[in-house]
Amino acid sequence: MMQALESFNWMRIPYALLTVFIVFNFGFLMNATIQKIAARVGRRHGIPVWQNYVDLIKNYALRTSITHGVMFYLGPVFRLSGGIGLLLFVPIIYGSDMFSNFSFTGDLILALYFVFFGTLGMALGAAESGHPYSAIGITRGLSQMTAAELPFALAVYSVALQYQTLSITDIVAAQQGGVLHWTVFTNPLAVAAAMLSFLGSMMRPPFDVVLAPQEIPIGPPTEYHSSFLAMMQTNRALFPVAKMAVYTSLFFGGAASWPVFFLKVFLLYMWSAFVGVVFPRFRVEQSIRWFLIWAVPLGIISILLV
Amino acid sequence: MVSPLYIIAAGLGGAFLLGLLPEKWRTAAYGVTLLALAAMAGIAGSWLYAFAVQGLPGVEIFTAGTRPPFAINFRAGMAEAALALLITMIGLHSALYMKNILFKQGRRAMAVLLIFIMALCGVIFTRDVFNLFVFMELTVIASAGLVLLSVDRRALGAGLKYLIVSQVMSILTLVGIIFLYHVTGSLNIDDMAAAQINTLQGGAMAFFLLFMAVLAELKPFPANGWALDIYESAHPAFSAIFSSASGGATLYAADKLLQIGGDTWLPAVTVIGIVTFIAANIFALVQNNDKRLLGYSSIAQVGLLLAVVGQRDILGDSYYYIVGGILLAHAVSKAGLFWLSGLVAKRELTDWAALRNQPVLVFAFATFLALLVGLPPFPGFYAKWDLAHHLAADGRLWLLGLILFGALVEAAYLFRWFGYVIKREADENGLTWQSIKSDVAFSAVIVAWLLAYLWGYLSGHGNLLHAIPLLFALAFLPLEWLPAKIKNVLAIGGLLYWFYLNYPSYNPLHLIFAAVMLPGGALILLASFQTQKRRIGFYPAAMLMFAGLAMLINAQTSFDFFAAWETLTVGSYFLILRGKYSEPHALSYLVFSLGGAFLILAGFSIAAQGTPEFPLAALAQVAQPYAPWVFAMLAIGFMTKTAAVGVHIWLPGAHAEAETDVSPMVSGILLKAGLFGLFTLLITMGKQQLYGVELTHVMLWIGAISALIGNLMAIFQEDAKRLLAYSSIGQMGYAVFGLALMNHLGWLMALMFVINHYIYKSMLFLSVGGVAKRTGTRLMYRMGGLITLMPLSFIAVLIGIIAMSGVPPLSGFGGRWIFYNAIMTTDYRLPLVIIFIAGPIAFLYLFRLIHTIFLGQLKDEMRKIKEAPFWIILPQMIFVAALMVFALVPGLALRKVDAYMSQFFEGNGSLHWEGLTITSQFGYWSPVQIMIVIGVIFMTLFLWLLFVNRKAQKVKQFNIVFAGERPYRPETTHYAWNFFAPYRKALGFLTEPLVERFWAAVAELLHSAADILRRFYTGNGQTYAIHLLGFVIIVYVLWMGGKS
Repeated sequence: MMQALESFNWMRIPYALLTVFIVFNFGFLMNATIQKIAARVGRRHGIPVWQNYVDLIKNYALRTSITHGVMFYLGPVFRLSGGIGLLLFVPIIYGSDMFSNFSFTGDLILALYFVFFGTLGMALGAAESGHPYSAIGITRGLSQMTAAELPFALAVYSVALQYQTLSITDIVAAQQGGVLHWTVFTNPLAVAAAMLSFLGSMMRPPFDVVLAPQEIPIGPPTEYHSSFLAMMQTNRALFPVAKMAVYTSLFFGGAASWPVFFLKVFLLYMWSAFVGVVFPRFRVEQSIRWFLIWAVPLGIISILLV
Repeated sequence: MVSPLYIIAAGLGGAFLLGLLPEKWRTAAYGVTLLALAAMAGIAGSWLYAFAVQGLPGVEIFTAGTRPPFAINFRAGMAEAALALLITMIGLHSALYMKNILFKQGRRAMAVLLIFIMALCGVIFTRDVFNLFVFMELTVIASAGLVLLSVDRRALGAGLKYLIVSQVMSILTLVGIIFLYHVTGSLNIDDMAAAQINTLQGGAMAFFLLFMAVLAELKPFPANGWALDIYESAHPAFSAIFSSASGGATLYAADKLLQIGGDTWLPAVTVIGIVTFIAANIFALVQNNDKRLLGYSSIAQVGLLLAVVGQRDILGDSYYYIVGGILLAHAVSKAGLFWLSGLVAKRELTDWAALRNQPVLVFAFATFLALLVGLPPFPGFYAKWDLAHHLAADGRLWLLGLILFGALVEAAYLFRWFGYVIKREADENGLTWQSIKSDVAFSAVIVAWLLAYLWGYLSGHGNLLHAIPLLFALAFLPLEWLPAKIKNVLAIGGLLYWFYLNYPSYNPLHLIFAAVMLPGGALILLASFQTQKRRIGFYPAAMLMFAGLAMLINAQTSFDFFAAWETLTVGSYFLILRGKYSEPHALSYLVFSLGGAFLILAGFSIAAQGTPEFPLAALAQVAQPYAPWVFAMLAIGFMTKTAAVGVHIWLPGAHAEAETDVSPMVSGILLKAGLFGLFTLLITMGKQQLYGVELTHVMLWIGAISALIGNLMAIFQEDAKRLLAYSSIGQMGYAVFGLALMNHLGWLMALMFVINHYIYKSMLFLSVGGVAKRTGTRLMYRMGGLITLMPLSFIAVLIGIIAMSGVPPLSGFGGRWIFYNAIMTTDYRLPLVIIFIAGPIAFLYLFRLIHTIFLGQLKDEMRKIKEAPFWIILPQMIFVAALMVFALVPGLALRKVDAYMSQFFEGNGSLHWEGLTITSQFGYWSPVQIMIVIGVIFMTLFLWLLFVNRKAQKVKQFNIVFAGERPYRPETTHYAWNFFAPYRKALGFLTEPLVERFWAAVAELLHSAADILRRFYTGNGQTYAIHLLGFVIIVYVLWMGGKS
């Protein structure tokens, strides 16, 4: 234990903070941009790109004297820890020691399972508020997640089989040397399954009944306000980017520099935005069936063919 | 030593003397009766001692001083002496038991009883067919007379019907004897046997007639309606003699006669016996009357004995050991049960619940059932083992299968009855208590245990009653008067000490199982300190289970393994049955477990190929084409214990309805016995192919589907303990899947599940049990918001569900990580898809568990609930600590066994444990560093949020955003019931209880068949005569085939 502490490179901490800072700002701007694009599709003007900053600062500044108990407190903490943790457990920039952060502690499987850390904690926190709408939102979210994550898990397995490794860095390394080496071309079925799964985890239509952001006040955050909500907003900028970092690394050749990273993540995000503005919302049981019928078979075929 | 002839003389003399006594000298007459019976028993006993201990060879007694055929000769050997002792002892005890009625009826009744017992002894000793006929006629007449001793008016009719039927038999006998004499020129059995009657003109026919008459006395199916009426209506003490003594004597007569008929008759006997065994057992399923049920069971047992007699050509030296074991077990238990029935006032099976007024009678009842079913350590168990091995060695597998099937049916109705006794309402006046009667019944208990010791001593496998764990468990029986807390200390001490003693001898694999089962059991037993008073019945049952587990790990040979397996099955059955509403579930558990155990027995028997037992390691040498069959049987047997899909339906009820501290034992520990068995099997037999199908591949599917179905069912449960129970099915599915991967990491993953599942499932069952104790319900939607009232239980559940869900940083993640590494090298990818589907579903039920109990809205009636009792919380907190340690340093438990398992897979695939990082061929994992990173992030954010919201106060329950309204009641605001409704809409079709329906249909089919066919026994004497005739004709046509 002591040996490990002595050999620990303490510079990793400022690097990690830097990573979080970069991704945080990128995520905020990108979220706003996408919101704006979606609004334009609907013939609305949309928010200014800095609007999310304003909201965040406002929410952090609000002082509250209300809490619903310990778990209510811990919910946003779990959520944001999940986002930051995931970001730090995966290598963001390929070949950069500076931005590989704590990816030495665990491999792809860690990333795959750590995704649930925030989800579970958030569910617990929201549930303690005692608001039935929170609980309903959680049941919807968890139900949908079981089906939506499945094609991704299959794709991950397929990719791991393809490259015979569970290390994200090694998977990225195997895709170097040209666009045609990317998994999306070498294992298109797995990527297709994963990209369909991706839609389910982005909280955009047609799979956003979990949060139902506009017209129905339902979903886990129902009772959250002020700094609790702000913490979750922070996560909403970090977590998707972290997740897309995994996608980029596994399927699209990774990113050797920040601009490439930004571009790939943005395009990925656009994919869900694009589908979202085109298709109306599914009910939960519909989306479960949809994933099982359309996405899972792709994943199955991909693991059989690898 | 007195000649055995004096047994006959004493009986006859006593009966004559009784005739001379004045009618009023009841006491003297009774004294003469007892004296005569005691003298007969004494002589028989002295001869048995001479044969068994002093090694005297058998003796021939020539009655008229000349040799046969000019005079009748008797033969006394070990078997004769033992049977005579049995018969006279049962006679003596029954005479004691019938004291009142004998006094009332006077010396004539006593004389008839003496004649009856004397005649039975005569049937055993005589070697002359005509003499045999005379003695049998005497028994018939005496029986008909003794039947009338009953107060039941139907006894009159039953006696008459018996006389009618026996007349038919007499005619057959006499005609048969005349022809036999004509053919052989002798009445002596040995002369006839030497004459080879089958080769003589008319000989076969003559033997057929005689033999049919004796067989009919054994009540073969369907010619046995008359016997049932006797059993039902006669005095219980007479039924005891009729079942045990008459049955034994007549069986011996049949055995003697078979020497005349020769081996060609053995198949016929076998078929008649097995048909009777199965038919009678199936009919017994629908009986509600205790004595009629016992009657069916008697008929069944005699049928079984007949079937075994039919195997004498292959049983060789162990013939008497096997037949004797089954016969004595049947005789003693049936006599005991009939005697007990005299203590119970009413005749419905459920009325036997009155036995609970005297706990010692419950013990007697349990002993008799175990003796009858052939559970360890009783003689039937050894006999069953040897019989199965002989049958398997000679390829008579169909018979083995039928015997085991019949035995399973028998166990089902007997233990259903036991369930009634333990669980049904006990009538305070339901016992007609008489100390002499209960003493007589209890003497049978003592004999049962003596026989258990004797058969163990005689067996070539070592005496189970010398096994320290078993003795330790049994020692709790006489200690029942102690307070539960003291017994608990003893139990914990015993478990730990045994572990300490055996620690050096465990290999790393065994060590993990032993640690989970023994110190693990002790840890759960801490929760038992919670119980007050004496807690009668708990400790013998629990320790019996632990004894079985301890013996299982130490088992070296197939016999030891099987004995341990049955022991733990029985112990856990008694343990599960203790739950308030667990009667049907305990029965279902027992039936499935015994079914599994019988498969294991069959598997071992086939694998043994003639050797009485073999070292477990020799499973590796089982030859083709048996190997895959052995594998399949053993695997299914073990998987009944892990509740694999298809044979899982016993688990939810059994685990959910068990007591608070029992649920973690049977879930956290007992299920691992199945995994241990599978490990043993796979290590030795490896991959096997049946018709080109890789059996481990099938197991892979079974494991995967179990995981899916278990998880899926769990999310729809409203009952918290049922939810956990279904989750166990899922978790065991993962473990079976890991094993079936047949690679190093797959096995490591299974071990990870052994440890993890023990810790978190025990912990969760304790928490939920504590909550249920406080709230008075297990229905989750009736709870809610308990987090502040029961914070420690909440913490245990929280840690438990995070661990089980597999989310880092807790130990469940380790299991998942190893799983992914393990599947990287497997050839079979399709079943993996099912596992992938099953994985995330676990989140649903885990969230539901914690949400609906601890979060959400607190109900008004639960506002004053306290934290669970200290002793239930304490082990949970220890489990939390254990889980943390295991999460951080899994190497502590796994490193050695990882290295140990390399020998099975030639080193490939093992993990590298360098410092705090674990690496595999494909990936890497550092639990401590992950924990630190997550911990630092988590704490930073938490402290910061605390700082920002330092003034926040907890608001009241209804202070939520509710569209400007105030929620009306917690009940309407707590979202809990039918929690995953959308999921049910999407995938509910997968939860159709198809398996349950299948087994229900099987049970229903057996019951309906029995209900229809038993109408065959109309109670009409003429019908019964036709049955008899039909039976004779059928046997004639099938066996004689028109031969003369």
